[in-house]
Amino acid sequence: MSVNTRSAQLSMRDALYEEPGPKTRRRIRIGTGIAALLLAALLALVVYQFWATGQLDPQYWLFFTQPTTWGFLFSGFLGTLSVSLSAAAIALVLALLLMLGRISGIRPLAVVCRILTDFFRGVPSLLLIYFFFLVVPQYGIKLPAFWMLTAPVALAASGVLAEVLRAGVNAVPRGQMEAALSIGMRPFRARMLIVVPQAIRFVIPSLISQLVVVVKDTTLAYVVSYPDLLQNARVLITNYDALVSTYFVAAIIYILLNYAINQLAVLASKKTGSTRVDRMTQNPT
Amino acid sequence: MGFTELWSTYGQNYIDALLTTWGMTLVCFALVMVIAVFVTVLRVSPFKPLRWLGDLYVQIFRNIPGVSLLIIVVYALPYLNVVVDYLPSVIVTVVLVASAFGSENFMSGINTIGVGQIEAARSLGMSFGKILRRIVIPQALRSTVLPMTNLFIAVMLTTALGSQVPLDPPELTGVVSYINTRSTGGILAFAVSALGYVLTALAIGFAGSRLDRKVRVLR
Amino acid sequence: MPGTDTAAPVIEMRHVNKTFGNLQVLKDINLSVQTGEVVVVIGPSGSGKSTLCRTINRLESIDSGEILISGEPLPEEGSELAAVRAELGMVFQSFNLFAHMDILKNVTIGPTEVLGMSREDAEREAMELLERVGVASQAKKVPAQLSGGQQQRVAIARSLAMHPRAMLFDEPTSALDPEMINEVLDVMVNLASQGMTMIVVTHEMNFARRVADRVVFMADGEILEEGAPEEFFEHPKTDRAREFLDSIRGH
Repeated sequence: MSVNTRSAQLSMRDALYEEPGPKTRRRIRIGTGIAALLLAALLALVVYQFWATGQLDPQYWLFFTQPTTWGFLFSGFLGTLSVSLSAAAIALVLALLLMLGRISGIRPLAVVCRILTDFFRGVPSLLLIYFFFLVVPQYGIKLPAFWMLTAPVALAASGVLAEVLRAGVNAVPRGQMEAALSIGMRPFRARMLIVVPQAIRFVIPSLISQLVVVVKDTTLAYVVSYPDLLQNARVLITNYDALVSTYFVAAIIYILLNYAINQLAVLASKKTGSTRVDRMTQNPT
Repeated sequence: MGFTELWSTYGQNYIDALLTTWGMTLVCFALVMVIAVFVTVLRVSPFKPLRWLGDLYVQIFRNIPGVSLLIIVVYALPYLNVVVDYLPSVIVTVVLVASAFGSENFMSGINTIGVGQIEAARSLGMSFGKILRRIVIPQALRSTVLPMTNLFIAVMLTTALGSQVPLDPPELTGVVSYINTRSTGGILAFAVSALGYVLTALAIGFAGSRLDRKVRVLR
Repeated sequence: MPGTDTAAPVIEMRHVNKTFGNLQVLKDINLSVQTGEVVVVIGPSGSGKSTLCRTINRLESIDSGEILISGEPLPEEGSELAAVRAELGMVFQSFNLFAHMDILKNVTIGPTEVLGMSREDAEREAMELLERVGVASQAKKVPAQLSGGQQQRVAIARSLAMHPRAMLFDEPTSALDPEMINEVLDVMVNLASQGMTMIVVTHEMNFARRVADRVVFMADGEILEEGAPEEFFEHPKTDRAREFLDSIRGH
């Protein structure tokens, strides 16, 4: 079948337009030129504002040439990573339990798991952090800063992940379960050995992109005074009195890290061939 | 502190906080929709520099942590002679971040349509504008109801950033720290706020999925 | 189109060339279709027959050569192009019904949006057309609720609602389950017998035999043979055509 080759390769945003004729081509060229000028003007305005307010002065930027600066930022980065990865691992285990409880077929357990899932999905991570930071100590429990941050971030993520996993389970064809039952597996065994592993494979890309939310949540570390990247950036600021440059550099590091994680998710979705169950995981905190 | 005592002392604070959270959420979400449409128009325009700008906007703001952005708006921008008050700062932060996700939702809404329908409309002699108005936009909107519902909830959760700046009255998260610095509110002080969020989220989710069932495009 | 030459062929292609990257998909295509003629284009996969069909209403642009519609050059863009497209019906392999509109709306949107017809008139005519293709009872359903065969018949009705001066069919039955192919072909046979000018890209050899005034055989972007169906099927002149016919008869 000679399916039209051109359209098959096009992304939708290109497909909105047809192949331009001469007049349209000229209009696009002119429009592109104007847009480029506008963009250049915008960029010039930003740079001018930095320059006019003295924020381009060397004193604000030169300390970034010192290895100690980067060493300090890097130690903060490691703090960010260790909280992120620990929280992600805990969240994954919790999410798996919540999801299994919900599909267990045991009514009361399913209800409890559903309430917990909705709860953790429905409250801001900041509120959970305040719970561990302000409320838990009132009961005489003294947690280290690491756990005051990791625990709430993990709980917040577990709710969303449980939903992602459930979507994955629903995406496994019914025939898989039926086939497992027909060779004499008990329902629980069939679910654990046949359905869940496939479900996890389906949602690996979504799990990876959920890591972005976890990384973002860890920036609340300063509430509990845990030395993450952003917290260490603050310390740099008090040392060098260079607030603007340091916060911008920190933001760029976060953006690049999260961009890399998202790219990894895209790569994984290409590799597993699974479409990302992305929409329900998007949570811009 | 029991519930009766907590509520008689701080009941009004909670109500004000809930209203603040709701108000911020509504204002933010309305702005998010407007800006997300604008950014999406940039991203699907035939002019490369505008596409590039729209894509860059989305990559920056979907990847920047909200706190990091709020700090820049509140503490760094004044050095650049841009001074924004606390409440607008929170709103700007939430809107920048959420509109990037909103635009992503619109883009995937457009992607569900398929080239074939556009070619069919073209073959009927419909103009570009008519194809957008009658074929592309209606379908893109219908298929974004569910993701936008989730974004609505996410916007509400993100307004908790308001607890990091002095707001009067504080919003639902800020009120917990407000109360706990004055008395020992215990788990109840936390639970009241949490319930405010969860019930609102459930209500939004319920309304969203009903709307989705009504307008969903069968494929 | 007012003021067009009635004696000129409805569709004429002169020395048309087109490449995708470095693959030449159309090589010096010359083809002319007279009013009321049914031309069936056949050929192996990747022969360029679909592309040929799609260049006629400029869903694909061409690199060189000329395409004339009723003697007038095919416009390259804008409202002039849209006006020509409105006069050429197109039926796709994958139906391409508008997913968010019910069946009736699918058929009326062309007349109301493009021809400026009133909704009442458009609906009355649409119902007649749906009746004619046998899906009137489905008018209030959405496309996803219909079978492939029904959807394709709606797509034909959608094109007919524009009163086209010619219809282009791009493999209209290739995406259908076997039991639904005939219901679509029957509609097309009917159309042909009523004198519709048609270009049909298809693999349905029986349809070609029964209905075609002329068969065009393409391979590797070239028209290798052109002639009456009897002659082509019984006495193909080129080796490529013989191989092709053997391969589809063989199994």
